[in-house]
Amino acid sequence: MCDSCGCDLTNSHNHSHDTNSRVIEVHQSLLAANDAIAAENKAHFEAMGVVAINMISSPGSGKTTLLEKTIERLKGKIRIGVIEGDIETDRDAQRIRAKGVPVVQLTTGGACHLDAAQIHKGLHLLEKEPGGDKLDLLFIENVGNLVCPATFNLGEHQRVVLVSVPEGPDKPAKYPKAFISSQIFVITKTDLLPYFDFPVDEARADALHLNPRLQVMALSATSGEGFEAWIDYLQIIVTGNNKSGIQAES
Amino acid sequence: MHEMSLVQALLTQLTTLAAEHKKKRVITVTLDIGPLSGVVIDSFQFGFDILSAEDSLTKGAKLIIINSPATYQCIQCGYRQLLPVRPDHCPECDETLLIPEGGDAIILNQVEME
Repeated sequence: MCDSCGCDLTNSHNHSHDTNSRVIEVHQSLLAANDAIAAENKAHFEAMGVVAINMISSPGSGKTTLLEKTIERLKGKIRIGVIEGDIETDRDAQRIRAKGVPVVQLTTGGACHLDAAQIHKGLHLLEKEPGGDKLDLLFIENVGNLVCPATFNLGEHQRVVLVSVPEGPDKPAKYPKAFISSQIFVITKTDLLPYFDFPVDEARADALHLNPRLQVMALSATSGEGFEAWIDYLQIIVTGNNKSGIQAES
Repeated sequence: MHEMSLVQALLTQLTTLAAEHKKKRVITVTLDIGPLSGVVIDSFQFGFDILSAEDSLTKGAKLIIINSPATYQCIQCGYRQLLPVRPDHCPECDETLLIPEGGDAIILNQVEME
């Protein structure tokens, strides 16, 4: 503690004690502004009666393919909408639109993650799309990046982190924040297991070591292997969405 | 590089604080950035050095970063320990599943301004 002014600054002689100078106690998160908008987004989701899932992974882990297959599988049962986040292009949104569900593409123009303010804007755009205001389930496909999106709460109910078999099993150990902050860990492209060195049990153990509450699934959207557990999980969180059922908070 | 977004959020907060307290220059900024925050301190410092130099309010300001540790609670015996890095197992019962709590702070603690 600084002897001159009683502040917590350890390098007491590196700051001035002019009469004009003053130490102001703030103790506020740098994410406070983002978190406030995230709380508004969550209230908005709940007013719409929609469960929101934030999907985080490296580029190319198969998020969009998983969504395409999920939409096909749940057509007529669960009303799905999608907010796509990418740095450039609306290619992902075109793929989702081709499946006949409301979708909005957000392009960040270089930013490595989506933030709550972008989702607020995206949600209003989505509501203008045909069927976009009557949804059960909203997927937010974050910018492909296993690092930065993990820091930004979007107001989602559930956070899903994905790792594909070709990426290797050491992602949880290397990128802990995404795994600590998620509820679900999906290992994708399990149809490629015969061609890659990916011990599923090791990846699962590493992820649980970081976050023992994580629910782990392994699946292939292409072959359909393990897909039922994913569909069951989605159906449970949607049916549980009668104000009480979501146990998502972390 | 989400550190750049966080630095921008910090500078916005500093501008607001300076206006509130009628101050013209920031001397030191003290932040708590936890080991589980997902923030690379060097990248944050780099972003701060670049962006703070663009405004007379923050030009030359010194950044002090502390690193509050996380608590790890054993899923078996409930033993809790406060540590800067994740332990491999519980020192009481050897269980490897430990639930982290805290350590993810990205908090502006203090600002010295004149």
